[in-house]
Amino acid sequence: MKNRKTGTGGNPLWKFLSSVRLAIFLLIILAVTSIVGTIIPQGETMQFYLNNYGPGMFKAIKLLRLDDTYHSWWYLTLLGMFSLNLIVCTLNRLPFTLKLFKRDYIDVTADYLLRASLCHKWTLKAPEASEKAAQIVDIFRQKAGSIREKRLDDGGTVYMAESGKWSYWGLYGLHLSILIIFAGAVYGSMAGFKGRIMLLEGETTDHAVASSDVTQKIPLGFLLRCDRFVVDFYDTGAPKLFRSDLAVIDNGREVLKKSIEVNDPLTYKGITFYQSSYQSIPEVTLRITDSGGGQRNLVIPAFQRVSWPEAGLTMGLMKFLPNVHGVPAARIWIGESNGRADALWLFRGSSKTIDAGGKTYKVELQDAAEKYMTGLQVKKDPGVWVVWLGCTGLIIGFAMVFWVAHRRMWLYVRPGGKDGVTVILAGLSNKNKMKFENEFDEIKNALDSVTGEGK
Amino acid sequence: MTFSSSYLLSITTFIYLAAAALYLIHWVFRVEKIGLAASFVTAAGLVCQTAGIGLRWAESYQMGYGHAPLSNLYESLVFFAWVTVLVYLIIEWKTGKRVIGAFATPFATLAMAYASFSPDVQDKIQPLIPALQSNWLIAHVITCFLGYASFAVACGMGIMYLIRGEESESNSGLLSALPSLKVLDDLMHQTIVFGFLWLSVGIITGAVWANQAWGTYWSWDPKETWSLITWFVYATALHARFVRGWQGKRIALLSIIGFVSVIFTYFGVNFLLSGLHSYGSS
Ligand code: HEM
Repeated sequence: MKNRKTGTGGNPLWKFLSSVRLAIFLLIILAVTSIVGTIIPQGETMQFYLNNYGPGMFKAIKLLRLDDTYHSWWYLTLLGMFSLNLIVCTLNRLPFTLKLFKRDYIDVTADYLLRASLCHKWTLKAPEASEKAAQIVDIFRQKAGSIREKRLDDGGTVYMAESGKWSYWGLYGLHLSILIIFAGAVYGSMAGFKGRIMLLEGETTDHAVASSDVTQKIPLGFLLRCDRFVVDFYDTGAPKLFRSDLAVIDNGREVLKKSIEVNDPLTYKGITFYQSSYQSIPEVTLRITDSGGGQRNLVIPAFQRVSWPEAGLTMGLMKFLPNVHGVPAARIWIGESNGRADALWLFRGSSKTIDAGGKTYKVELQDAAEKYMTGLQVKKDPGVWVVWLGCTGLIIGFAMVFWVAHRRMWLYVRPGGKDGVTVILAGLSNKNKMKFENEFDEIKNALDSVTGEGK
Repeated sequence: MTFSSSYLLSITTFIYLAAAALYLIHWVFRVEKIGLAASFVTAAGLVCQTAGIGLRWAESYQMGYGHAPLSNLYESLVFFAWVTVLVYLIIEWKTGKRVIGAFATPFATLAMAYASFSPDVQDKIQPLIPALQSNWLIAHVITCFLGYASFAVACGMGIMYLIRGEESESNSGLLSALPSLKVLDDLMHQTIVFGFLWLSVGIITGAVWANQAWGTYWSWDPKETWSLITWFVYATALHARFVRGWQGKRIALLSIIGFVSVIFTYFGVNFLLSGLHSYGSS
């Protein structure tokens, strides 16, 4: 953009903030500094950086927050400067664009037309000059599309076909859209949250755990239940499907049921649940028979200790292998509630004996199964629509900037004078000049065939 | 399976190699007929490649996986070559400047050769893992690669611009067969604008997809960040025209730097850095 005089054009700060030079400087700085965060792993512990980069680099990393580059004070400052640059630049250009937009391009003079980048002049001699002129105007009418006409002070008449004048606003749409995207991102990060939920099949929860801080609980305002989790694999072993059957319970009523998959989340009251991971949790059933003939079936889920109080026994699951030579196997610890414990490997269907409290017990692995726990990403982002709006504006604005040209085609006809009738054809387009030139030539050739010039 | 998609695509590699050689000969010896032959060979290569891609698509259905051939490094390289040739042929058709072919078709040839012959690139048809099962993925890949291919052609033009040099405007011989600096500058700019539009759409469709799959439209993962860096470079090139003293040579340089950034976004991130988009390394 050339230096255009505007009301505030004299202020050096304003001039600096509105310059495209600054925009270029910022774009280059942003491009270069953004590389840092792709080389240094982000979001690790301070200990990690100290160990991997040594004390000198560690200081720099800590000071410049290179563990979280894209949210560091200096990166956000750069983005802020960039936004400011964009705002000031836009405001600065506005009067100029308004002038371009408001100007009526039919107010021209013959001299102006002769200076246009595309123009051709004919002089029609009597006797048939006026018939030819009428013919020329007809041809222009047919070829150039809808036209307006105006009489000029010099006695000539100008006919104009114009299109795409509004395309000047495309650039504003484009640049403002970038600000809208920023605004949406800021709003979303302030008014929303990100969290995680791990849910066993059959389990219900009323909260998520914050991604940024695992000790912080985020209440959902309703209940979420996982009825089932399904995982499926291709014959190559690659995963094919992760699916959770979820139910939403609000005010004691089940209001919504949906099976979610990766790429197909569930949204309720502005909170969206995404399928993100899973764990399989084993659960084994033991049949324990004491030497006196007493017998009991005990279900032992992972991570829990289970007791048989009457016998004074406590046990738990240490390790589970779903498939050892075709049968599941488990390593169990079992012992007196306040004494020594044994660890034993059991296959399904096999049994072992232990001594505890003066009695002998036969321990049999009766059944083993896996239960799934689904991992959900939870998000509330009221700003996402603003971001999508900005993205749409960006693309539409861009398409306008790229494809829509402000095109003007003039035909000027001035009768009389000793030299005969003067005819000028002129054209101006602010982009797609090659295509426009072809169209101009086509009209020019059509007119040539009337005036007798050319081929 | 002699008439398989990989057979057709291997043949395509050699057709593009021949086309690049013909364009080069056409440039050096300036024989109009050879230029015409180069155009025909390139178009034939495009037809053969289109058939190959279509066949691969059909084969994926026969294998029971059924997805558009845009899901791994091999398929994306093939698609990159396809779009590059397409974009180039459109430019040739619009401008009639065949010399550009000597600088554009080698990119397609290299991509195809790398896809077909490198041991790093797995050309088996693989099933889609859950994260990739999305129509947004198809939109994302197509738009990104439209951008990448345009940038490849713009990079070729940038190289031409620098070879031609600012001073040698009236030189005879090889250099004078290149389009004038003004024409090159204009074409380069238009190609960059076109690529920039598609890169923007590519980044946006990627964001929509990520938002649908993981709930974050932007997570600053290295591949995303590199695509943004590329975007910044080309935004610089677009605006440089409006600052005096930044025309021509510097934009040609930016066009080359931009394409290096594209290459890094495409390969470097997969091979040197780690992140979400690791499908490239398989
Ligand atoms: C990354 C963000 C930006 C994008 C994607 C962008 C995009 C564009 C595009 C596509 C054009 C049209 C180029 C052409 O017609 O060849 C343009 C022109 C322009 N941009 Fe930006 N721009 C960005 C940032 C900025 C900033 C920060 C400024 C602030 C100074 C700015 C000022 C301008 C100006 C003055 C023009 C020239 C308009 C004209 O006279 O035709 N842009 N921009």
